This record gives sequence, C-alpha cells and structure tokens, in this order.
Amino acid sequence: MPKMLVPYPEKCTGCRFCEMACSLYHEGKINHTNARLQVHKRDVRTDFPVVCTHCIVCGEDCCVQACPVEAIKVEDGIVTIDEDECTACGSCVDVCPFGVMRMEDTAFKCDLCGGDPTCVKFCPMGAIKYEEPNTEQYEKVRTLLEAE
Amino acid sequence: MKAFHGKILKVDLSEEKSAVKTTDERYVRKYLGGQGFAVELVYHDMPQGTDALAPDNVIAMAPGLFAGFPLPTGGKTAFAAKSPQTGTLVESIMGGAIGAELRHAGYDALEIVGRAEKPSYLFIEDDRVEVEDAADLWGRSTREVPDLLKKKYGWDVKVACIGVAGEKLVKFACIDCEERQAGRGGLGAVMGSKNLKAIVIRGTKDLEPADPGALLEVALRYQKVMENAPSFKEDTVYGTGEFLGWINKEKGVFPTRNWQLSVFEEREKIDPYYWATRYVTKNKACFACTKPCGKLFEVKEGKFAGVAIDGLEYETLYSLGAACGNASIESAARGNEICDVLGMDTISAGATIGFAMELVQRGILTEEEVGMRLTFENSEDAVPAMLERMGNREGFGDVLAEGVRLASQRIGKDAERYAIHTKGMEPPAYDVRGMKGHGLAYMTSTRGACHLRAGFYAPELVGKFWRWEGIDRQSPEGKGQMVATMEDFMCVYDSVGLCKFSRGFFLIEKLTEVIEVITGLKFTEDELLRIGERIHNMKGHFNYREGVTRKDWLLPPRILQDPIPDGPSQGSVITSEQMNKMLDDYMAARAWTTDGEPTPEKLKELELA
Repeated sequence: MPKMLVPYPEKCTGCRFCEMACSLYHEGKINHTNARLQVHKRDVRTDFPVVCTHCIVCGEDCCVQACPVEAIKVEDGIVTIDEDECTACGSCVDVCPFGVMRMEDTAFKCDLCGGDPTCVKFCPMGAIKYEEPNTEQYEKVRTLLEAE
Repeated sequence: MKAFHGKILKVDLSEEKSAVKTTDERYVRKYLGGQGFAVELVYHDMPQGTDALAPDNVIAMAPGLFAGFPLPTGGKTAFAAKSPQTGTLVESIMGGAIGAELRHAGYDALEIVGRAEKPSYLFIEDDRVEVEDAADLWGRSTREVPDLLKKKYGWDVKVACIGVAGEKLVKFACIDCEERQAGRGGLGAVMGSKNLKAIVIRGTKDLEPADPGALLEVALRYQKVMENAPSFKEDTVYGTGEFLGWINKEKGVFPTRNWQLSVFEEREKIDPYYWATRYVTKNKACFACTKPCGKLFEVKEGKFAGVAIDGLEYETLYSLGAACGNASIESAARGNEICDVLGMDTISAGATIGFAMELVQRGILTEEEVGMRLTFENSEDAVPAMLERMGNREGFGDVLAEGVRLASQRIGKDAERYAIHTKGMEPPAYDVRGMKGHGLAYMTSTRGACHLRAGFYAPELVGKFWRWEGIDRQSPEGKGQMVATMEDFMCVYDSVGLCKFSRGFFLIEKLTEVIEVITGLKFTEDELLRIGERIHNMKGHFNYREGVTRKDWLLPPRILQDPIPDGPSQGSVITSEQMNKMLDDYMAARAWTTDGEPTPEKLKELELA
C-alpha cells in the first residue's frame, strides 16, 4: 500500500500554513481556492485539515466513477487526472465527499508532490503525516465535515 | 511591485456607498502595510476634533505586508481608529485571518466611515461590496455571529465581529475574529457606534510573491529557526504565561490586587506550569503561526464546567487573576470566556474590576453602591459576575464599563488616587516601578499604557537586546532614546504583520530579505526604521492635534508615590524627577517639543507636511 496523507485533527492548530505552502508550491502564488487541501477553523474547539485520501476511506472511487470521459484513474493506489482528457465538466468536484477536487481550466487535485508532500514539511505540529493510510483518521475528518 | 493590489476599499455606511482608491509603490515605500496603512488612513482622513463615537470617526483595517504569505508568525492584521477610551489614535493588532482574506478580495486596506441607519454588517466578496441588514445578529455573541454568517455564506468566509459590549459602547470593547482579538482601546465600540456588527469577507484572488521559490525556502528556514529557539518548547506547551513564575518570583514585577503588591502569593494556582497539564486539550494558533502559544482550555467539571477558551494569556492571568486577587484558574477562565463572548478586552476589564475592589477595600465604594459583594476575597465569584454586568452595562457594571479613568471621575471621593492608567488605558502585567524604561514606554505609547508599542519589558528584564547590553532596569539613564528606537522598530513589526514574540530572532536586518522576496522591493534597515518613525509621528501628531499633551501622558500616583512593598523589587518607585527626565530625554530623541508635539520640521523631514 503506498503512503498517503493522514490528517490528525486533534493536532491541528488552524494556522493554515499547509494551505498557503501547498498553493505556493504548486502555483507559485497563493490562493486557497487552488490549495489541494483545506484547513477548517470552525470554532474554539475545532480546527482540522482536509486532505485527499485518494479514495482510501470509502473505496468507492467516487471521482473515478463520476468522470464521463475516464480522465481520472487509479495508478498504484494513487488517483490521478489526465488533464488532456479532462473536459472540465465538474462531475468529480460535485461528488468528492471531502471537497478537495478543484477546478480551474481542468480538474486538479493533490498529487502528493511526487512523494515529498509540501504540507507535511510545513506543518510544525504533525497534524498531517505521510504514512500508511489510516481509515480511522479519515473517518474522524468525515464526521467533522458532516457536522458542518 | 508584487504582493500589493494598489487598491484601498473605502466604505461610507451613512451613504451605503463604496469606492476604491488606487495607490502605487510610493505608498508602500512610505507606509509599508498593516499598521502603517491603517494609521495613515485615520491620520489623514478623520476630521480634526471628531468624537470617537461619532460617524466621522474612521476605522481602518489593513493586513500586514506578510499577511497571506507563509511566513511564520507573520499573519497579523491591524485595526485603527480614534479611541473612545483614550481619545488618541489607537491601533490594535489581531491574529485572525480577516486581513489576509481582504487581500485575497483584492484590497490592501479597508476604511470605514459613517454610521449605518440600522444594525448592519459589511459583506465583501472580491468586487462585490454590500451593506446588509444585521437585525438577526444584533445582541448575539462573538461565537454565534460567525456561526450564523458561515451557515449563510459557507464555511470558508472570514468574519470579524463585535459582541454585545461593542453594541453597548463599552469603552474597552474589542473586535473578534476566530477567537483572536483586536483587543485594546475600544475599537469594538467604534464599530458599535457605526451600527456595524460584522465584516464578512471571501476573497478568491491570487497573492503573488516576487520570488515564489525563495519564499518557500525562507518560510521553511524561519520555521526551523523558530523551532530551534531556546523557548520554543516551553512557549508551545505553556503558552504566553510561561514566564509568569519568573516575573513574579525572580523579578517581583507582577502587579497584584490593583498594584498594591507586586508578587502574587498564590501564583502557583494560576501558573501555566500548574494548569497546562490539567486543563489544556489542544493547541491553537493565530493565522500563519507555526509556534502555537494559544491553548484550548476546557473545564470539564465543577461550577465552571463547560468553559472552553483559547487562553489564558499571560496578561489575562494578571488582569482576571492577580489584579483581582483571584487564584481560581477556573474562574479566570470563565471570566476570559465572558470577555471573549461579549467582546471585551480582558486586560482593561480585569484591571478595572481590581480597581473597584480596592475602592471597596478602602470604603470608597460600598456593597450597596456596587450592588454585589466585590472584594479581593470573593473574587472567584465576583470577577465573572461583574464582567457579565460590565459587558451588558447592567447596574454598577455600567460605571465600570467606562474603564478606570472615567469611572474614577464618576465615583469621585479620591477614587482617582487608585486609578492606574496612562492616557485612560489600563496597564498590562508589568509593574513598571521596577522597570523604569518600560514605565517610560507606558507614557509614550500613543495608545496609553502598553507593553507592545515598545516591547521594552524584554530588554529590561533580560538586560540585553538587539543593539544594547548591560541594561539596568532600575535606571532611567538612556531610556528615552532606547524606547523611541524600539517604538520605531515595533511600528515596522506591526506593519509587516509579524508577532512581537518573534522580535528576539526576527531582527530588522532579517526583515529586508523577506520583504524583497515577497514584494521585489529593496529596503535598507535605516529605511525601515525611518518608516517606523514616520508611523509613530503620525500617531503622535494626531494625538497632539486632538488635545492629548504631556500632562495626559504622566504616570498615575501609585507608580510615583507608593514604593513596591514586597518581593525582589521592594522599594522600587519612579520618582517625578526620574519620570520627567525620561520624558525630556524621549522628546529630545524624537525631536518633539517638551509638551509632546512633533515639530513642523520633523513632520516635513518625514514627508508628512
């Protein structure tokens, strides 16, 4: 099983350093609308990072199934987008339960920075780790999102 | 020039109109950002002699130059207006993300004037600017307001708002964003006077640094520098109160029972080394801060069960703790929660209660007048109870909602002898009788007694800082020049949007590199300090123009007449001679008149006239 981003909401301080670093690394500029992960800062008790789970959490491959042109594939356990095939229809964005499938000219999403994730490097608290997938942690985030 | 949009959004609530003023590189070279922008807007745009709660007062908000970029501790936002508490130009800096969001909406700063006809909030989404009806939000807390607005607009909008205290024009009402506050000087009351309950922003525009690759490198480098700094672990585990024991026991400058004592004998019970392991359930951080000194403090059982705050900060451990003789950390936490929810500055609110307690102790106030038992001995219950009354302006709380200066004038009967403030601002948690230069800084601070305008407690307590070594905290010698220089430096800090806790390792020579990476603009250290001097002179000139002169700067009677009676600083006092010598030295260092007026030559030299 390839390593994945694993969120630890209880360690997240809500500083959003990861979000800014993600955007800066991928786009050379900062905009939370293009960050591949999000930090929710809901109330005094609750801050949490929302990362792409590469569909580990439910195994449903929602975005893969939703894509009408088969531009989204799972390769070695990692969900990737073929930008040449993508028609920017938005179906994948609509179905992603975490809201981390993004859209500009084409769909785009977390690519784990080629195996050295920027968000992990920039999080000082270990609230996002790059390790064996951990369904329990993904479920925690899903529960937090559902309560929103 | 990168990073800036060259646009300032100006909103007139009376007219329900907005306009965009364009600026260019010269504006950044002159004022830098953050506090510099906010102060410039109030200084130039508020008509002279305007009452702080009148529609013509200008409230400005500006993100620091770094805000929105991943620079550790560099996400701060400045608010500024004429203060109803001090009558001076007050800027207050917060760690919430509202400023960075304004930048993503395409503006470098926001200026609000006028008064809405009815309770309203401002909604900004990029080019869309609306004044909306806030009937459903009025009367609600700083926790309910963002909840309701996020339900309406989505989880990702940023909200800055006031609580009931701001609506009721409590003199020290604050502005809240994400449990972080622009706390000091009653800027929340200025919003309240404008019928402005909240500012809601969603921005979708890019922030472009001049050198993205270098910025990633710089950001990571400074994160490591910070992690390796000596106090990183202690600060992140115990928060800003980490050094409370040291200040109290080693230095003896922890003001207790309205400054009657300078050592709190029950310190152990409010020390983070006691409570962090028992009550803290999570770390919290300001926007863009990788050194979380915020603590989620939760009370699970007992009469204060259910309390959940981002605190308690060092200053609050003094104001709601020692200043009121309150050794119950749970009570102080509940007090902190009341301040947060109603939207009040914890420092002024607590210090004002401590002041009233001393009046009760001396028989100047009776239980009957106060309407409840308000003593140092029953502070555990009295502090939260009185805070509720102050925030809602109920009973005697209405008098204390005015702060110590106005309350003491209203109470009469020698109450002013026990009112501890400069320029109407209740002081933070450093007994300056044992720290002469910091005492000077309480006087020269343009917003009244403040530990952050010069940040001078650190140099004096540690004995060395930046350019200086062998600093004697008990000596007034040389403090005029040092305080002036530190004020200029701290103006730069508040303009780039850095947290003052970084000032030990993020010295001015390091800032030039980061500013260039983000904006592409080169500054020298001297140029930055010159901008700091310009910002301070705008505030000083504004204050003099509004009638605040040297006589209003002076230290209160207790500091000048009552030597510290206990502990390591026993016998310390600032004499009138020392006070006046330091003030004269300071005025000379600033090239101001001895009355505190920036001279026309100085203003011209700084391109302000």
